[in-house]
Amino acid sequence: MEFNRVVGTRRSIRFFKSWRPVEREKLQVMFEAANRASRSMNADYFRAIVVNRDDLDAKTRDALRNPTTTADLDLAPTYIFWYIDLNYVEGAQDRLKELVDQHALSAAHGWSRAYVDDFLWPQVLEPISKDLNVVVFMGAVETGIAICNAINAAVDQGLGTCMHAFTANEQLKPLLGVPDSWLPVWLQLVGYPAEEPEAGGQRPRNAISKLFFEGHVDRPFEEDPEVTERLKRDGMIQTPGPFPYRAQEVKMLSRMYGLPE
Amino acid sequence: MTGAPDPHRGEAGAGERGGAGPLPAGDLPGELADFAAAASVQHWLERSGDGDGARLADIAMLQRFCGSIGTNPDDLVAQCLRSTRSGDTAISAAGRRRTDQAITAFVAAEGATGRDAIVLGNKLRAFLIHNGIFMQGSAAID
Repeated sequence: MEFNRVVGTRRSIRFFKSWRPVEREKLQVMFEAANRASRSMNADYFRAIVVNRDDLDAKTRDALRNPTTTADLDLAPTYIFWYIDLNYVEGAQDRLKELVDQHALSAAHGWSRAYVDDFLWPQVLEPISKDLNVVVFMGAVETGIAICNAINAAVDQGLGTCMHAFTANEQLKPLLGVPDSWLPVWLQLVGYPAEEPEAGGQRPRNAISKLFFEGHVDRPFEEDPEVTERLKRDGMIQTPGPFPYRAQEVKMLSRMYGLPE
Repeated sequence: MTGAPDPHRGEAGAGERGGAGPLPAGDLPGELADFAAAASVQHWLERSGDGDGARLADIAMLQRFCGSIGTNPDDLVAQCLRSTRSGDTAISAAGRRRTDQAITAFVAAEGATGRDAIVLGNKLRAFLIHNGIFMQGSAAID
């Protein structure tokens, strides 16, 4: 699938084919995509544990239920638990020098091994690593970027996915062997969509002119209609929901799974 | 509703029909008419009903459930709500839990098992969901 169409086709999928497992190779693609995501300090901010729904007992699955995540847990065959590893700064000094050696960070932009050793590490990064607020903030942002790659890789492979609040960490920690330094971020449910991949149409979004600005917040970034039309052709901008049959689609899916209507 | 906040307050569409739902009480068999006239039942039918005969069975089932725990539909909703110190309406976790346990017990008493049990329980949960009470229904995937 072309990139623009992947972005445009992504939805939060909540009805999965409960009977169809996700191929391990598709998970590998998702993880590799996440691993290729942009990251400051070339640090490994995230950790993730993939678990088959059917390998979790009913009590554990029930513990994962929360005010936004319910039947989804029954329907999705694959769970990915995403964490921030709060120790991500460890090794940053060596990783940055490695980037200097690879000329990814070069003198052209002021980088040198000495700069990393004598200034950046002792005066910036090491102090930051001791500020939990900054560590969590950066960890959340960078982990989110990685998750975004995993989401798009899932969509590109015909999978459906949705991010969910990650609760019940204390129950899961011993079960999954999660160390104390891992902070839970999101539970990603993955499977093949039982609903149409369009899931009733594209969700409402504000115009980019409300969200983006040129030079000053008083100057909205106005759309070029020709670009907008091209993005429609490319599939990034799709028919907005709800499709006329969406309510019926949800009703029939609910009946298939015996869910509340 | 008896002494409870109105869960429909401020909800889009609530009250648009002036209390008349898709299955007006007058169209129902006599024994269900009074029961179905309750605001919470009308609200449920407005949101979820598709007007077919199955709705009669659903209403009758809700009536049996309410009877099994000695309450009426409006109070059933109210029992899942609470008022906060600041006067806001909140969902009562304890009320939800009690109600969910009562649904499970009712389903078992009805003799339903497997998929039938899930469907039956979720029909009752749907009544509460459409009245603003967050309930967690399992899916029948086996």
